[in-house]
Order: sequence, then structure tokens, then C-alpha cells
Amino acid sequence: MITVTIPNFGLTPFQLTSVSLKRSSPCNQVSIFRCPLALLMTDDQKRRCDVFDMHNELVPYADAWSWQKSIVEERKKLIDSDEDLCDSLVILQHPPVYTLGAGSSEDHLKGIKNYYRTERGGEVTYHGPGQLVMYPILNLRYHTMDLHWYLRALEEVVMRVLSSTFCIKASRHKGLTGVWVGDQKVAAIGVRASKWITFHGIAVNVTADLTPFKQIVPCGIQGGQVGSIKELLRESLSSEECGEIHYTDYELVNTTYESLIKEFSKVFQVELCIKPISLANFLEKKTSPVTV
Amino acid sequence: MAMRLWASKSASYLKISVFNRGFATVLKDLKYADSHEWVKVEGSSATVGITDHAQDHLGDVVYVELPELGTAVTQGSSFGAVESVKATSDINSPVSGKVVEVNKELDDSPGLVNGSPYEKGWIMKVELSNNDELKTLMDSDSYSKFCDEEDAKH
Repeated sequence: MITVTIPNFGLTPFQLTSVSLKRSSPCNQVSIFRCPLALLMTDDQKRRCDVFDMHNELVPYADAWSWQKSIVEERKKLIDSDEDLCDSLVILQHPPVYTLGAGSSEDHLKGIKNYYRTERGGEVTYHGPGQLVMYPILNLRYHTMDLHWYLRALEEVVMRVLSSTFCIKASRHKGLTGVWVGDQKVAAIGVRASKWITFHGIAVNVTADLTPFKQIVPCGIQGGQVGSIKELLRESLSSEECGEIHYTDYELVNTTYESLIKEFSKVFQVELCIKPISLANFLEKKTSPVTV
Repeated sequence: MAMRLWASKSASYLKISVFNRGFATVLKDLKYADSHEWVKVEGSSATVGITDHAQDHLGDVVYVELPELGTAVTQGSSFGAVESVKATSDINSPVSGKVVEVNKELDDSPGLVNGSPYEKGWIMKVELSNNDELKTLMDSDSYSKFCDEEDAKH
């Protein structure tokens, strides 16, 4: 059992690169340095989390998936020798894709043949352009070693975004993990934990075309409805007759992204180090996530 | 669940000991890993499952990913997974050896892990390759204490 404590043995701690939510200069290299478990703290004692920002990129599902798995495997090996990497968060969009969880029923695919069977929890879902997907790779030993807590925390991030940025009141439905506005599901969650390292995560419909959800039984909920921030704003604006307010899809996605990472840092009490990365660089470096 | 979490957070802030599910069953004759799997050894064969403490933390298990027959398992490494409420977590083997039987009942009735974690909810049987590894596992008293300490931390 690994216990994380603040070290008190007189060694100079690592100089970490960021203490606040500021952008680091765009890096061409994915750099995550390894250090002893106890030293992954920033100057004001919040745990550091690297954010690989591809919120305007369409990252092929297979590449994002293999990148996550390689980081998780690396961290599991390091943990055996009492080291670790920083927590990280990847935020991106995917080209259209259907995915199933480990125990998902293929019946919910309604005949769709092209999909990924993954190791996450949860049922079938769709990812596509206009949907922001967050894959936090967290060591829950630094947070709370409780998967229920983790799911509620992910939901909390999105609920706060909807409330603080868009004045949309969201809720949880008991027994149905995810974020709901009324009876529409706006964010879906499916995670995997391996030795308390999480991967997969949460997908938020911002401006996504929701038609592909009609081809499946989303999240295995028969008759379940799916919503998006764009549609919800459209409904609330048209009902309030507050004049014309135009958000481009691009603006909506960017605003949601900014709000998501801000709320993520608050809910998980982490200091974020933003690393914008181009898709080309990500694909080039994904096979070697650890460089010092 | 939320009440328990609130209670334990408040308790740890106030530095008082938490009244929690210290009633999770721990069976005397089994050995335990710190990742909350149990093993029952009979000669060179072992039955493996997850503990009452683990199933209680997980909540309703909706799916169990069973290993293939004949797979080699290594102590401390993942051999399968359990899913509850959209989260799948690895289950790690407390012993090394070869999988000789898996509990197919769990395909249709994953809830057996919750209802009967030490009997009907068993997950796999392993032909042990190294009986010495058993010495690294905890007995029931040590495991009970371990669970109490872990729960007190969060």
C-alpha cells in the first residue's frame, strides 16, 4: 500500500513548471517527468495535473485509447517502485465512432457493425465532432480511493460548467451515472480503474449532431433522450425572448472547454499545466508518452 | 453512499473515528491481498474472489470479466475486472499459477459477487505455481485491520 506524504528529508524538491492555470508554451514534445510519488505537488501544495489540450482536434479513437493505455501501464510499473507520473487530462474531440463498455450488450447497437469494444464501464455510446471528451488519467490514491466518489466528481465538473457558464440547471438521476438536464442526457461517463489509475472518462455534447445517437440505445437506456448544450441554449433563448444571441459552434466549444478545465481543477483540487498539442505531434509521440 | 462519504469527511476533519461498515465479513481460513481479493488454498489449488469489503465499496456488480481457462496469472497482476455503475476496475490475482476453472454463473448473475462474495461469488480457481507466495498475503485479522485503516483514511 503506497502512502503519499509530504517529504521531510531535506532534499530539494523538483522545480515544477506551473503553479496556476496558465498556459505553458506550446510544446512539441509530450513531456511528463517522473519523480518520487510524494513530490508531485506544486508550490502551493496542490497536486499538479498536465492537460493535453486538443479540444479543437478530431483525434482518432484508437490513437487516444492506446495513448491512455500506454500511460496507465507506465504509471502502474512506476508505482511498483514508488514513483509515478503526474496526473494528466486529455481533452479532445473524436471523429464519429461508437464504443462499447466491457460488459455492454451488443443489442444496444441495433445492428451497427463498426465499433470499439473497450474495457471501460458503461454501455454503448457515440462520440463525434462537437462533443468534448475528457480522459482524466488520475491516480485515485492522491484523491479518494472510491470509484463512486470519482464518478460523482466527474458529474460535478460538468454540472458546474452548465450552471456557472450557461445558467443551465443539471441534475443526476439516481442509479444512472451521467449528467442530465431534465430528461435529456448531456454528458455520459464510462471509466476504468487499474490499480487505482483511471482512464476513459466523460463526454459532453456541446454542438454535436445528435442524430447518430438515434442509431443506438445510448447507454443502454431504452427511450432515453440525449441533449447538447447548443440545443439547450437554443430552447431556453427562444423561450425567454431575450433577443438574438449568436454563438458560433466554435465559440461554444471553446467556452465549454475553458469552463471544463476550470471546474475540473476546482473539483479535483489540482493545479493545471496546460500543454496545447497538435494532432500531428500527438500521433507522433503517443507511443512514447514518457520523456523527461 | 453520499451520507457515508460526508460522515467520513466530517469525522476526519473533526479527528474522530468513523463508524463505518466495520461489519464487512472477513473469513478466518482465507488469505487476503491488499487489493481486496481473497484466496482459499486447498493443496496446490486455490479459489479466488473479491472480499465483502470490496463488493460493499463497489456497489452492485453488473459485469464480471472472467479470465480465459489456461491463462497464466501472476501475483499482483490483473486477471479480470468487475464493473459497477459505469466504472470497471481491475481485479488482481493474489497468487501465481494457471487458471483451471472460472465461475461461469457470474456471466448471468454478476450479483453473486455482492450477495455471496466468499462462496457463490467465487471468480476463478488457480493451480498454484508457487506456494511460498501465500506467505506474503494477510490473514483475517491483519486484513480486518488493514480495511479499518484504509477506511479511516478517506
